[in-house]
Amino acid sequence: MSKFKEKDVLLKIRDLRIDGFSDETWVPIIKGVDLTLHRGEVMGLIGESGAGKSTIGAAAMGYARDGTRISSGSIEFDGMELSTATEGERRALRGSRIAYVAQSAAASFNPAHKLIDQHTEAPVHYRIKKRMESQEDAMTLYERLRLPNPSEIGFRYPHQVSGGQLQRAMTAMAMSCRPDLIIFDEPTTALDVTTQIEVLAAIRDIVDQFQTAAIYITHDLAVVAQMADTIKVLLKGEEVEEQTTEKMLDDPQEDYTKSLWAVRSFQRPQKKRPSDGSPPLISVKNIDAAYTGGVKVLDDVSFDIYPGMTVAVVGESGSGKSTTARVITGLLPPSAGEIQFKGQTLPKFYKDRNRDQLRQAQMIYQMADTALNPKVKICDIIGRPAEFYSGLTGPALKQRVDELLDLIELEPAKYYNRYPPELSGGQKQRIGIARALAAEPEFIICDEVTSALDQLVAEGILKLLDRLQQDLGLAYMFITHDLATVRSIADEVVVMQNGKVVEQGPKDEMFQPPHHPYTDLLLSSVPEMDPNWLTTLLEERGVDNIGEAATS
Amino acid sequence: MGDLLGLVLKRLGLGLVTLLVVSILIFFAVELLPGDTAQQILGQGATEETVRALREQLGLDRPMVVRYLDWLSGAIFFDFGVSAISGDPVTASIGPRFANTLFLACYAAVIAVPIAIFLGVLVALFRNTVFDRVANVLTLTSISSPEFFLGYILILYLAVKTSLFPAISSLSEGMTFGELLHRTFLPALTLVLVVTAHMMRMTRAAIINLLSSPYIEMARLKGMPPFKVIVRHALPNAWAPIINVVALNLAYLITGVVLVEVVFVYPGVGQLLVDAVSKRDFPVVQACCLIFAATFILLNLAADVGTILTNPRLRHPK
Amino acid sequence: MSFVLGYYVALIAGSTFAAYTGRRTVFLMLFSLTLASFIVGIIGGEGALRFIATAAGLLALAAAVSYCFREFLVAVTKPSLSKELKTAPLTAAFGMFVIFTYAIAGIFAPWIAPYGESEVITQAFAPRDENLLLGADQLGRDIFSRIIFGARNSVGLALLATTLAFLIGAFAGLMAAVKGGWFDNLMGRTADVIMSVPSLIFALLMLSIFGTALWVIVIIVAVIYSPRVFRLTRAVAGNIVVMDYIEAAKLRGEGDWHLIRKEILPNSTAPLIAEFGLEFCFVFLLIAGLSFLGLGIQPPTADWGSMVRENATLISFGDITPLIPAGAIALLTVAVNFVVDWMLFRSSGLKEV
Repeated sequence: MSKFKEKDVLLKIRDLRIDGFSDETWVPIIKGVDLTLHRGEVMGLIGESGAGKSTIGAAAMGYARDGTRISSGSIEFDGMELSTATEGERRALRGSRIAYVAQSAAASFNPAHKLIDQHTEAPVHYRIKKRMESQEDAMTLYERLRLPNPSEIGFRYPHQVSGGQLQRAMTAMAMSCRPDLIIFDEPTTALDVTTQIEVLAAIRDIVDQFQTAAIYITHDLAVVAQMADTIKVLLKGEEVEEQTTEKMLDDPQEDYTKSLWAVRSFQRPQKKRPSDGSPPLISVKNIDAAYTGGVKVLDDVSFDIYPGMTVAVVGESGSGKSTTARVITGLLPPSAGEIQFKGQTLPKFYKDRNRDQLRQAQMIYQMADTALNPKVKICDIIGRPAEFYSGLTGPALKQRVDELLDLIELEPAKYYNRYPPELSGGQKQRIGIARALAAEPEFIICDEVTSALDQLVAEGILKLLDRLQQDLGLAYMFITHDLATVRSIADEVVVMQNGKVVEQGPKDEMFQPPHHPYTDLLLSSVPEMDPNWLTTLLEERGVDNIGEAATS
Repeated sequence: MGDLLGLVLKRLGLGLVTLLVVSILIFFAVELLPGDTAQQILGQGATEETVRALREQLGLDRPMVVRYLDWLSGAIFFDFGVSAISGDPVTASIGPRFANTLFLACYAAVIAVPIAIFLGVLVALFRNTVFDRVANVLTLTSISSPEFFLGYILILYLAVKTSLFPAISSLSEGMTFGELLHRTFLPALTLVLVVTAHMMRMTRAAIINLLSSPYIEMARLKGMPPFKVIVRHALPNAWAPIINVVALNLAYLITGVVLVEVVFVYPGVGQLLVDAVSKRDFPVVQACCLIFAATFILLNLAADVGTILTNPRLRHPK
Repeated sequence: MSFVLGYYVALIAGSTFAAYTGRRTVFLMLFSLTLASFIVGIIGGEGALRFIATAAGLLALAAAVSYCFREFLVAVTKPSLSKELKTAPLTAAFGMFVIFTYAIAGIFAPWIAPYGESEVITQAFAPRDENLLLGADQLGRDIFSRIIFGARNSVGLALLATTLAFLIGAFAGLMAAVKGGWFDNLMGRTADVIMSVPSLIFALLMLSIFGTALWVIVIIVAVIYSPRVFRLTRAVAGNIVVMDYIEAAKLRGEGDWHLIRKEILPNSTAPLIAEFGLEFCFVFLLIAGLSFLGLGIQPPTADWGSMVRENATLISFGDITPLIPAGAIALLTVAVNFVVDWMLFRSSGLKEV
């Protein structure tokens, strides 16, 4: 922190308390947080969901979202106390001196107006620039942020521009009045890794160039390591610790912070295919598929999954990995090719499969919220497959449900009669696993099962899945976009891009060069904990050879 | 641009098909009746002979499909045959009355639409205040009241007790436009009350629905004052639902008019239809129904096309 | 003159008391009423003032009754339900109270009404006295008794038609959502066609063909309104069908009936109940309109819509009697709408259409 002088303090938050409205009462969600930000400093706010990072970000603008209220504490921005200022005074700061970059640019740009009209709105409103001046400025900023066709792209509507470009256009919009402070609220969370990297590079450049102070909110440690001078870790509305980035990475003080760092270390030994020539459990053979009336989304996809092994299918959004799962389960009948189970061809459409074929392919979903019926008791959710496939009833059924709850490490007596909304995210995901196990399958498809969960919870789920695999001899098809997960749990890896299998093989080979160029791009785009990672990568590849430029 | 035109044409085609199906429905429903028009005209006492003669004269001895096609091709050129009761051409009695009905509906619409949208935006702006609550109660009350309730209240207070306006909206030749507006004020006001309340509520809902969108929060975080947020950021995206609301209510005006015409003894198609129904004069009933249905379908079509045209995604394709 | 003085003294005393005890909203209401009364009193004189006083008094009475009724409901219901009821605004409580009153009137009509439904007791249009609370109608029947019986007939018929419309529409909607494909398309198109004819016009056409027997009215009205229920159910179920838990159940091999009963219905009760209320209002108003046109419930059965028509001539003599059955219709519809409005706000998954 020595880099910044005491007199240059821009934002000073003291003992901030914020309440949120839930269940007809106000409950505290921020419980006394202090924050000091100097001019030109970039602070990373990091924490799991529910830590209150976004709420603090909004509070730094003197803004309380619908259903929240600032109950006490002081927020001093450049000598002006925001908590006692009038709404008009606070509003006058927003957009002009404090700007905001939202998580989803696609949703945060108004679909009815052109990008450049939204860009010039704030400067014109505050009479900082004339409309034409501001348009010129927008084009300059677009160029600096390396957007293609900087003089033309602003005249498009949001839906005509890709996600990564929109995020950069939104950063440009935040810069339109040259604010003193920008709040970045998870600006790259919704993007693919290869797109994320160019947005990160662009944001870092422009913040450096204009010496703007920033609060960078994210849940991704590796990302914040690239962006921030200092890092503040939050947990459930309270500060855990604050350090400079280097110090935080090398020598975290608190147990919670240490545990966050340790998450990435779980790795189980890799298994090899059986050498006795036995057939694969699931065999995907030359699958082509298309949604009704649409273009082909899968093109000649083939891979095998052997008993007791984990095959990770990786790729970015639109690569066809989830569609492959739909073909295997029979929800989307393929237009060519076939799915074999132990050498037997499965009917293409799930309605043509018999119960025994159906029970063999179970799914665990990404969003446990939508995967469990909120109005059905836990015992019925887990009990139904057992009753349906094995015909268990009465005490036998109850015993089986208890057994399954034991397997997923939830106490039967406590959870038997509860409903999904009463459970935490990790517990719901465990129930989802138990439901799959209740069918007694040999094969389970895990569709991004950990990506909606906080890191520590995700870690627990991965360990549970690993233990179950060893105990029950299950085979997993593990769909993910997260290479860290692949490293920790996979035996074999299938890389997909635009509906095609680009490369496949055992994990150890896949993480060693030489690679297919796309695999290489994918691997190198995953942020690492090293604060110099982005700088080094940009030096290696050059600014024009990252992100969209490199994929096309 | 091709996409847009294609979509619009598709909607138009769909509307045409719907109209065709509705015409079939209207025509053949009447055919379900025991007996036929000839029997209806002559009554129970008529002999076989006379019934058959009239049947031949009216062409009722031909197959159903032929008669339907005949009826339909006539209807396209506004020829709906002759009344079963009076024997006069249907078009002659409907024509001027249809103009009257349209006049009344337009009169109400011209007042109601701008007021409703303006007030709708206003209550959205002042949502959750006392003003909003009172507006909510008043509009709900207005929607819930049958048209004849509102109509008779207006008659009682504005015609009988104060004689500001005539209670009966009879029209006569050679009236000045001002006189016309004065005579038809009460029925128009009744329609305005019902329709405004409805449109206001839906405009409010359409705007409030959008207020939770991230781009509205973005506009607020850019420092835009509440008025600008609503008018510049919410309203342009609310046009599609608002157009739908307006079309729906204009369509409603066309039918709501039936009850109001009866209350105020206004010489419109609604009156005619009600009379025809109680006299079981089917050619007239069919003609009125087809006209109402066609207007209704046309308005809904206009709403659909309007929705397509105001969608930025469709207007500015990738 | 003493009324005017007393009126202002009461208002000002009330405002002062409210201000003194720190009840801001009460004070604002009372004092703005005082100010409004000053202006109206100067323009309209004592008559206008009396009118305002009566209106304000009625409003206060309605609010007090609603408040008591809500507290009563909270006290007698189970904890889970009373927690919900506590959040009900006064308008919703008022709605519930009105519905409750109508139900009582409808169920116990023969015991409440002083005379029979179609009993001729005096001469036509006899004025009101102690025996005839609201006077007599065009045939010399007691209007008050007929209004009480009307609660049973008009509301009962509407309820029957709504239930039938609901059964048809909800079943078709759920099936369409689960089956999808051609069945969904066919149902959707059919609904479109029925909805493309204005409901009142459709009803008039059908009634002119099939006559005005009660069961005919019920079936016709049910058919006309079932597409609305269909669309809503289809939309609500459509949002549920895309959930992963439905996919999981389908992949398990569950049949359509299990999906509807166990997975979809438990998640769509709130919007469906609200829709039932809304639907009832539409049906009720349509039947009232038909009766008013003389094409609904036929005499001598007492019905509010036809009562308005029968006594409409009284209006031109400045008599409000025909407005009473019309008001009864409006009051019930308003009441149901108030309750529905609150329920929609609670579930808020469904925006009003």
